[in-house]
Amino acid sequence: MGKPSDLIQGTLDLLILRTISAEPKHGWAIAKRIEQVSQDVLQITQGALYPALHRLEQQGWIRSFWKKTETGREAKFYELTKAGRAQLNKELAQWERLSNAVGLVIRMAED
Amino acid sequence: MRLWNILRLRSRTLVRRERVESDLERELRFHLDQQTAENIAAGMPPSEARRAAIRRLGGYTQIQEECRDMRRTNHIENFRRDLRYALRMLRANPGFTVVIVLTLALAIGANSAIFSVIDGVLLRPLPYPQAGRLARVFFHNANWPKFPLNPWDFRDFRARLRSFESLAGFTRGDLQLSGAGRPERFTGFKVTAGYFHALGIQPARGREFNANDEIPGNGQVVILSDRLWRERFGADPHILGRKIVLDSRPFTVAGVMPPDTEHPGNSYHGVAQGRTVDLWWPFTFEGNPNERGSHFLEVLGRLKPGVTAVQAQAEMNTVIAELRRVHPEALSGWQARIVPLYDEIVGPSRRLLLVLLGAVGLVLLIACANAANLLLARATVRRRELAVRAAMGADRWRLVSQMLAESLLIATIGGGLGILIAAGGVRVLVALLPAGFPRADTIQINGVVLAFTAGIALATGFLFGLAPALQSARTDLQESLREGARGATSGGGALRLRSTLLVGEVALACLLLTAAGLMLRSFVNLLRTDPGFRPEHLLTATIGLPDKTYKPIDMVHFWTRLNASLDSVAGIRAAGIGTDLPWTGWDDNIGGFTIEGKNPPPHQEFHARYHVASPDYFRALGISLVRGRFFAGSDTAKAPPVMIINQAMARRYWPDEDAVGKRITFEDHPKPQDWLTVVGIVGDVKDRPDSPEAQNSMWWPIEQTPIYVNQMSVVLRGISDAGLLANDLREAVHQLDPTLAVAEIRPMDSIADANISLPRFALFLVMLFAGLALTLAAIGIYGVISYSVSRRTHEFGLRMALGAKPGDVLALVLRQGVRLALLGVVLGLAGALVLGRVLWSLLYQVRAADPLTYLAVAALAMAVAALACYVPAQRATSVEPARALHSD
Repeated sequence: MGKPSDLIQGTLDLLILRTISAEPKHGWAIAKRIEQVSQDVLQITQGALYPALHRLEQQGWIRSFWKKTETGREAKFYELTKAGRAQLNKELAQWERLSNAVGLVIRMAED
Repeated sequence: MRLWNILRLRSRTLVRRERVESDLERELRFHLDQQTAENIAAGMPPSEARRAAIRRLGGYTQIQEECRDMRRTNHIENFRRDLRYALRMLRANPGFTVVIVLTLALAIGANSAIFSVIDGVLLRPLPYPQAGRLARVFFHNANWPKFPLNPWDFRDFRARLRSFESLAGFTRGDLQLSGAGRPERFTGFKVTAGYFHALGIQPARGREFNANDEIPGNGQVVILSDRLWRERFGADPHILGRKIVLDSRPFTVAGVMPPDTEHPGNSYHGVAQGRTVDLWWPFTFEGNPNERGSHFLEVLGRLKPGVTAVQAQAEMNTVIAELRRVHPEALSGWQARIVPLYDEIVGPSRRLLLVLLGAVGLVLLIACANAANLLLARATVRRRELAVRAAMGADRWRLVSQMLAESLLIATIGGGLGILIAAGGVRVLVALLPAGFPRADTIQINGVVLAFTAGIALATGFLFGLAPALQSARTDLQESLREGARGATSGGGALRLRSTLLVGEVALACLLLTAAGLMLRSFVNLLRTDPGFRPEHLLTATIGLPDKTYKPIDMVHFWTRLNASLDSVAGIRAAGIGTDLPWTGWDDNIGGFTIEGKNPPPHQEFHARYHVASPDYFRALGISLVRGRFFAGSDTAKAPPVMIINQAMARRYWPDEDAVGKRITFEDHPKPQDWLTVVGIVGDVKDRPDSPEAQNSMWWPIEQTPIYVNQMSVVLRGISDAGLLANDLREAVHQLDPTLAVAEIRPMDSIADANISLPRFALFLVMLFAGLALTLAAIGIYGVISYSVSRRTHEFGLRMALGAKPGDVLALVLRQGVRLALLGVVLGLAGALVLGRVLWSLLYQVRAADPLTYLAVAALAMAVAALACYVPAQRATSVEPARALHSD
């Protein structure tokens, strides 16, 4: 099924929110951007992306609209809502705390 | 904002489904096109590029489905589909649908109707602001659990008690209005200052009574009810200050109460709770404050906020102890007692109503069991269909929810019809309720009742739908597919469940039948009991003499003259006048007296209710003479004092002797003329038909009465229809005094009837519910047995082919059904033994464990069960072996 194998769900949400925080993007662009930025380390299963997008939209973090792309085709773009931006900041802070803590534990284990 | 967005999106998903779906389609196609283009750019051939893109995306339809799930509206979608499907199924099986829906509608409707009574009588707050703070105050002692207060005791209480914001007294005081038209008597109450303030009601016009009105001589003011003001005074806007003549005295109208003013109900010369009072006038404190033997003032009070009844009770105990030091004799043995007004009004009917709710609840349970049984039967028929759907990949929850949708739909339709049945039922119930049943006028179908109905309909739907739904979801695919193909011999699980339901149904029905049986026996006992008087062809009425125009001696003369003139009316067999009528409430007049040559046991005094009667009073009522003689015209004021006592009193004080000729006196230091001689003993009449025993009673002849006889009851025994005598009575009265009202003209048999209407009401409903329960159980038995027979067609065919006779097969099937029914009967009767105690206080001369009732219930239930089994059993014997073996 479409479950991401190497990404826990919360992380995917965070990545999506972060990816569209600068400018609105369509699903394909989001997938590409995540792959590109993570230098293809984070291979997200494309199938998992869309349910995640729809869930985030239902939760009110992001909203969608139809717009022409550079190639002139209509695509569904997603952008952050105000609530989504707040959510992103909260999740980022949480992520920082978690990764700092994990890093600390790992370094202490090395000593 | 965010919430709004979410709501908007969800509703869009629901309402504009096609649009949302096509958006999703377009979105995913865009993704695929992009991926395909990238793949081609990377050098793949176009056809391969597309396939790779789809692979990379990972299952197109699955993603679609997941996205729909994310929209969280999928279950609603599914439910809508399930409902449509369920509706189709119901329409396809009209017989099944009608039976199951009607059963539920009846059960739900009966429940709603009874609940609306409970809601109106028990649940709705009393019609006074902050009614929880209202309480009644009584005196009580070893003999009388609830007794009115003496006015002076009340006044001391009012002055001292701090727990109450206000305390008020009231006592019945009807007034008659004469003038234009026929004189009329109005139901009135004498009330102390601040009575309405205590109840929390303001007069719509004018003022209520104050301390000044309580002073003797000042009480000539009156407050009218809205009804009286409109009907008798044409809603006169200038009514305040107007003088009206009541009981031949001028009264000034001080106020008019609003239309929804309700009397809190009372017991002493009782008037039912509700809009039953026409006018109020001041209670005045007359006489000597140190003479406190007479108790007739009823008391109610409003507790201060935050003060509990328990705290008030404690304070009253202290206050009465203080008062006892000042008036040791008058208050000896008396305690004060507080009863919340709510308990006082609805307390006596609560148990009856809860028993009815319990009974009707059992009917609903049986209906549920029945519906579950029918659904299970249907589920078996649909086994193959469900198995196929499961095999095609429908998950179990979807199957369960689809079955539940069906049961909920049935329950909803049942509930809707149930409301209609309840609406009709409530009218019948209210009409059947005895007159004066507290708060009967507030019974109606309202929002609460609708909500209750919706609630039980839903609960019912789940209750009867869940078992079959789970059962079908648990279905073993392989087994049922195979079984379906082979004409079904196993499937024992469903049959076990159905048998359990059946046993439960029979048990519950037996429980109800037992209750109905006990109540029926009790009612028959009530009817069979000799009332002690003969109510046929008997007319009763009451007449009051205004004390403004009648001195005590004039009153006595009036009654003797009236009696004489009634005696001469053709068509009257016997005419009597007395202070009391049987079964119309009582006045706890208790006189302490001395019996010649006897000493009362320590801490007790001789006591009996005292009354006054004319010579023909007993003969007219049909009360029997046990010994001695009735009063005669010769028992005049100048003749030796005499009295008549009842059997209860004779038994109590002269258990082993002849009471006739014995003497008693009310004086502490009697002179020779103070001794009264018992000249007759009359048969007992109890306070109510179901009272355990008659009270000690004695009568004075009218001409020797020591008590005030301003208000008397007239009894006329006619040759035929007593109703025809009303005009003769009015004429006789008006010849003597045209200003008098002849009030409360009622045939005695309607009084007698009213006295058994409450047990009759309960009996009727419980019998109805028990009958319903038995019918439902019979349908249930029939259903299970026919189902079992249809599945064993094969087996029966085989048995008959091997030489079994039809009788053997019949016995086989009957045995199966009867065994189940017997188990149900045993369980039901055992349950009845345990629960029977609930009924105890509603029963009259029947033990809750009455063996005859139990036997009869068992016999009836078994007979009905056998009948319900017989029809399908008969069908089993008509199986043709050859066809049965080839069937399916």
